[in-house]
Parts: sequence; C-alpha cells; structure tokens
Amino acid sequence: MSGFAYLVKFSYRNLFRVPRRTLIMILSLSLGCGFIIWDLNFANSGSKEMMKEFLSQYAGNYHITHPDFYDDHNKKEFNLYKTMSDAELEEKDLIQLSTKRVNAPVFISGEKKTLGVLLTGLDVVKEKKISTLYKAISEGRFLAEAGDKEIILGKKFAKRINVKVGEQVATVGQAIDGSIANDLFTVVGVLDFGGGDLEESLAFTQLQSAQELLAMPLEKYHQRVSFDMDSEIPLSLKNHEISKWTELLPEIGVSVRFIDNFTWIVSIIIVVVVSLGLSNTLMITFFEREQEFTSLNIIGAQTSWITASLMVEVFVMGTIAVFIGALLGFAATTYFNYYPINIEIFTGGKPIIMGGITIAPLVRIYSVPQYYWQVPLMIYFFLILTMIYPLIRVIRRSKNAV
Amino acid sequence: MQFELSHVDKVYESSEEIKVYGAKNVNIKIPEAEFMALVGPSGSGKTTILNLIAGLILPTAGSLKHGGEDITSMSLEERTKHRLDYMGFVFQDYQLLPILTAAENIEFPLQLKGFSKKEIKERVEWALTQVGLEKLGNRFPSQLSGGQQQRVSIARAIAGRPQLILADEPTANLDSKTAQEIIELFLKLNKEFKLTFIFSTHDQRLIDQVRTVLYVKDGQISESRVHNV
Repeated sequence: MSGFAYLVKFSYRNLFRVPRRTLIMILSLSLGCGFIIWDLNFANSGSKEMMKEFLSQYAGNYHITHPDFYDDHNKKEFNLYKTMSDAELEEKDLIQLSTKRVNAPVFISGEKKTLGVLLTGLDVVKEKKISTLYKAISEGRFLAEAGDKEIILGKKFAKRINVKVGEQVATVGQAIDGSIANDLFTVVGVLDFGGGDLEESLAFTQLQSAQELLAMPLEKYHQRVSFDMDSEIPLSLKNHEISKWTELLPEIGVSVRFIDNFTWIVSIIIVVVVSLGLSNTLMITFFEREQEFTSLNIIGAQTSWITASLMVEVFVMGTIAVFIGALLGFAATTYFNYYPINIEIFTGGKPIIMGGITIAPLVRIYSVPQYYWQVPLMIYFFLILTMIYPLIRVIRRSKNAV
Repeated sequence: MQFELSHVDKVYESSEEIKVYGAKNVNIKIPEAEFMALVGPSGSGKTTILNLIAGLILPTAGSLKHGGEDITSMSLEERTKHRLDYMGFVFQDYQLLPILTAAENIEFPLQLKGFSKKEIKERVEWALTQVGLEKLGNRFPSQLSGGQQQRVSIARAIAGRPQLILADEPTANLDSKTAQEIIELFLKLNKEFKLTFIFSTHDQRLIDQVRTVLYVKDGQISESRVHNV
C-alpha cells in the first residue's frame, strides 16, 4: 500500500471511531449542501421562468435593429428614421423565431383627452405564433390578421382617455419622411398587464397600418424581435445591431442579478454557520486525541504526517457529505420539477408583477449542472478555513509534545 | 552504535526565580545490547532522562550523541526521523491506536519508514511471533487483554529492528503474572536479538532482572549498579 493510500485508510478509520458524531457532521454538511444546490436551482429556475414568461409576452429575448436605431446610452430612446428590411438581413436562421415591428411615439385622442403613447405595429400572424401578447387581452379581441386600422390599448390608458372597445381614436405623430402622420383607428381590444406601467404607455396596431401611418415602405420596419429564448444570442450581425433584453430592460436584468447574487450570499451564510459548528466539533475531536498525536510523534510520525492525516480525514468526510448533499439537492430539484412550487405562497397569495406583467405563480425547478460542482467547491473551501485553527493547535501541541 | 549523554542538564523554568532541574549533570553511556533501568521515586527525573535520550526534549546544557552524531543539533523533524530509524517505544498505557488491529498497529511505524508491502508483512509476522500473538493479529486493541496489548506495543517497538528500545513503566499497568511474562519477553529479545533496552520503572521484578540500574534522584544519577544476570 502506498504512503498516501495508507494515509487515506488511516484517516477513514479515524473518521468512524465516534460514528455518531461523524454521522451528525456529515448530515449537517450534506443537508447544507443539498439545500444550497436546491435553493440555487430554485432561484435560477424561478427567475429564468419568470423572465421567460415576461419576455415572451412582449419584450422578446433580443432585438435586431439598424445600428443607429437605439440611442447608445439609453435604449429607451430610438431614432424613427433608422429602418431595416429583410433584404438587408444576411443570416436568415437568426430570424426564424422573430417578428417584425414598427414603433412610433404618437398622441392618441379620445373623446376628451389626448395622451402620448408608444404605438407598435405588429405582424399579427407571426406575433400570435411566437409571443403571448394576445393572451393579455381582457376586453374585446386581439388584432385581426386581415384587419386594418385597428388598435388595442392598455387598460389604464383606455381608462385615462376614456375610450371603450368599438370606439374610434385619432392618432397624431411624425412620419419618417418628416411629415405629420395622422389617422383614425378603431379600438378592438384592451390589454390587461396586471396593472403595471405598460398599461398606460403601450398601444398596438397591425404592421401595415403602422407603416402607412409613418409613410414607411411595406418592406421596411424598425426591428426584428427574437423570441428564441434558449439558443445562444448572436454577438453581431453585419450592418445590424443586436440588443439583448438586459440592455433594453436594465431594471429587470438588475432584479434577476439581485435574486441570483442574493441567493449566493444566503448560501455562503449557511455554509459559514455550518462551518462554525463544524469547526467547534473538529476542535473537540482533535483535542480528544492529543495524547494520541503525542504518541504518534514519539514513535516517529512527523507533525506534517499527523496534520495530513487530519486533513484527509476532514476531506474524506467532506467528500462523503457533498456527494450525499449533491444527491439530495438533485432529488429535491427533480421532485419540484414534477411538482412545481406555487410561489404565491411567498407573497400571501398576491400576484407577482414584473415590469408591468403578471407572472404565472407555478415555478418548475430545473437542475443547473454548474451548481453541482460550484457548491461542493465552496464547501471544500470553507472546510479548509474550518480546519485551520484546530490544525494550528494540533501542530503547536505536537511540537511541544512532551 | 552507542548512545551517550555527557554532562546533560535539563532545566525547567516556570519563572526567572523558579528553576527546576529535570536532569543535572547526567552522564550515561549506553552500549549495544544493554539492559538498563532508571529507577527512582516519582518526579526524580527518570522520564526526563528517557525523553532526553529519545530526543523528545533538548538538554539545556551538555551533549547527547548517538554513534558520534549530535542529536541536539538536529531539527525537530530530524529528531523524529532519528527516533523512527533507531528507536522503539513501549508505553505504560500501551498507546495503541484503537482504530487499527494489532497487526496494523505494528505495521504503522513500518509504513512511516517506507518499507515494501512484502517486507512489512514479513516484519509484522515476525514481531507477532516474537511476542506470542501470531494468532491475534486481526484483533483490535479493545478485544485484547492488558498484557496482550502490551505485547502488541512491544511488537510495534521491535518490528523496525531498532537499536534502542525505551520503555516507560512498561509493567505498571499489568498484574504480576502478566508483568513477569512481559519481563521475560524483554529478556528474551535482549538476549536473542541483542536489542538495547532502557526502562524507567518502579517494578522490583524488572529491576532485579536488568544488567545496569541507575538510581535517579533530583535529576541526578545518584548511584549505579551492575548486576550479573
């Protein structure tokens, strides 16, 4: 048996000299590890699922535009005159799950009131296939595929300008040739986003109606919005710019990053608390064997060998614990994949509204492979920290053995 | 190679005023195959002298040599290696590792020495045979009597064929019959394999059997007697 194999055997035997204590240490570590993996998977799946739902309703995953369409510093502002066309796009694969849109800031007048809104022209056929905007209609209907000069308004906006389904509104804006754009539209539906800001700032019409309003050629549009949520986002397209949702909706991106980072911080706190308890137990375990360390040193074991055997002991325990912990984390994650969690239990039954859109409450948890090595690595790191003080004590005692 | 302590002092200082001599002007020559006992009341300095010989503590003054090599100039690690290479230890309370079987306990210092698997097996079997425990190698210390545990401890000490075996009160925890058996085992090993033994003991039966008795009082060798055994 090689020296190292003997060291491992020696440490393994030592680990189980007080089985109950060792099992409690392993249990606390594995439960901590399992919970953290599950928690991270939950946070990741929750935010991902919420984001997916939020983005698939209207915003999309990324926008392909003319490079000068968005203002570089503030993607809330755009240049109406910077249009694009399918003919200019070279990589057709990238646009399979995308839809054309035309955007125009306009004033819409109801019977007594005129207010500004962002009017978006939609490819109704495509939009119904890849986005879920039509599901937000609370009154009336979605835009008809063959319809013309139809408009749907946010619930709050319709209320503010006091118009109802079936009534007509006048829109006034600026066409891309610089002329005044104005037309009459018939309100066919009202959108309910759950009461958020979007309800008072958005309006939608057919793509062609918007193009006509803006005096835009039919082959021209402002953006292709991709709803491809899973595949990699292309870094760039020749002559076009790609803007990810995190750039377009930075406040939402920050929320998601906050959830992820906060979950990691909570995880680290859990490991620190478990480590403190573990450090105390290790100290007791090591001090109980001080006489034995002295004897080992007397019969010829170097302090480094004694220290190494203790480190291997803790690492063997850690390895068993993280293995069990990873299995527990995987089992819990898989369970909640089959039986999704209703996150409204965390909000007292109230709906969760994100960026003005109500999020479905059921979260299905998915395993994120990287957590299965990141969390054990973090636990190993804290195990090393945990060992430092007890080991220093052992080394000091061993050097002053007699 | 003989061990030699020349004018060795070991002073323990608990404060600037209070100094206690654990050993004072100790001069001992330990020739090969010696069978020697350090005798004296508790606190007389027997264990201090044993620890000095083992290199577990360093003298405050004087020299400690093994075959001309100065042990006091060695580092802590070198002294540990020196013990591993040349010395075996037998403790009053056996100090066997409870997690290892008797054979594995004997194997332990051999593993530290880096012997081959074959050599370790041969030496463990040889040591177990010498102490009469060839059939109990697979038992854990908790499954052995006190006398059997002390035999395992002796087997561990001799398995590496050291030049010197230091035994601190090796019969103190044993009943008289077992103690007598252990003393006979020491004698047998001394005669058959020319192993050098130094005991720290109160046990008159052991004192009666040794060749040289050094009486220790207040850290000094007050008297020495050589028996014709």
